Amino acid sequence: MLLEVRGLYKAFKGNQVLSDINFDVAEGEIVSLLGQSGAGKTTILRCITGLERPDQGSIFVNGRAMCEQKDGRPCFASKQELYNIRQDMGMVFQSYHLFPHMTVLKNVTLALTDVHKIPAAKAREMALNMLETLGLSDKADSHPYELSGGQKQRVAIARSCVTNPKLLCFDEPTAALDPQTTQEMTRIIRSLAAEGMGILIISHDMPFVQAVSDRVLTVENGKIKQSA
Amino acid sequence: MSYILQILPQILEGLGVTLGTFAVTLVISIPIGGLIALCRVSKIRILRWISGFYTWVLRGTPLLLQMFLIFFGLPAVGVRLFGRTRLPYVFFAFIINYAAYFAEIFRSGIQSVEKGQIEAAKLLGFKSAQINLKIVMPQVIKRTLPSIGNEIITLIKDTSLVYALGITEIFKIAKSISTRDVTLTPYIVVGVIYLILTAVITKLLNRAEKKVYYEE
Repeated sequence: MLLEVRGLYKAFKGNQVLSDINFDVAEGEIVSLLGQSGAGKTTILRCITGLERPDQGSIFVNGRAMCEQKDGRPCFASKQELYNIRQDMGMVFQSYHLFPHMTVLKNVTLALTDVHKIPAAKAREMALNMLETLGLSDKADSHPYELSGGQKQRVAIARSCVTNPKLLCFDEPTAALDPQTTQEMTRIIRSLAAEGMGILIISHDMPFVQAVSDRVLTVENGKIKQSA
Repeated sequence: MSYILQILPQILEGLGVTLGTFAVTLVISIPIGGLIALCRVSKIRILRWISGFYTWVLRGTPLLLQMFLIFFGLPAVGVRLFGRTRLPYVFFAFIINYAAYFAEIFRSGIQSVEKGQIEAAKLLGFKSAQINLKIVMPQVIKRTLPSIGNEIITLIKDTSLVYALGITEIFKIAKSISTRDVTLTPYIVVGVIYLILTAVITKLLNRAEKKVYYEE
């Protein structure tokens, strides 16, 4: 199993945001968490990516423990382990968070050259291939401000996918897209999963989620209500 | 005119100290200011507290007062950091004062960088030092350059405060000539020199701003 989430609890200042969240994502599977804003979806994603620490529960990414419930309390991955786990996952943020001072190409190559220590020429080639797959070849030398919302999102996908993660998370991928671009996004996500990548989507866009996902889980008041 | 040409060489003899104070302060106080700014936004509370106290004291008291305390006060209590050479004490006072101003400018710049970008970088596997260097710093430089430029212009004029310590620089020479010849002309000459210096610096700053500019 690519992602296992077991008995996740999280409260902010006495306000219980997550209670007893359990779900899995397998290789090549597209799983969506559907729910209204404030339901706790984003917190789940932040726990999985290690940006937030749950109060209780276990999270395994590709078999490695992001956090593990031991003797009644969660033990968190060390800094080095967190670093290793993150090599296996990618995340596409709702507002993309591209680096504005760099070209599109540089946005995509930076992690390759500086984190994965791949030679610049090879990294450039990998990035250009990735951009081509996503239909962004002509934007390689543009800066993020020159792009539309949909293009920025595809750059964010390229930036995350170029390092070949096993699990890719999307935070509200269709929030800023028009219907046509949404359809395009469905196609892109499907093709990523077809290559074996596990995809976790959180969204409140029911038609999109139903069109793209293998499984849809409904999140309500911090609980997973049903599997459909 | 011939009078101006006659006093100009004397005045220019002080230019070395003026420009020296300016350059040494600039080159050393900017990196120190950067470090203090990192402390100001650090997760470690004691670093935040110490750096906050530092900027409060150094920005909250006059530079002239700090110069007097360091120049006369330190040696008086037996602390001779730089032996009997006088200029290093002046540099020291300017550096710690300007570092405090630069630190506050850099702090606001650091805090203006979207938190999400830093989270995105973390998830891409970047280490903190890489994030600071590649993601945060270029954006901070671009956003703070106009305010830094302002401080740099102020600094070139603040070097005239050195005269109060009895050290010879262009302003002090002008003052002596003015007293000797009973005329205000030397002050006008010095004023023009400051104007030329600030014009050159402004030009350089504008060029730098263009260089780091990108649309957001």
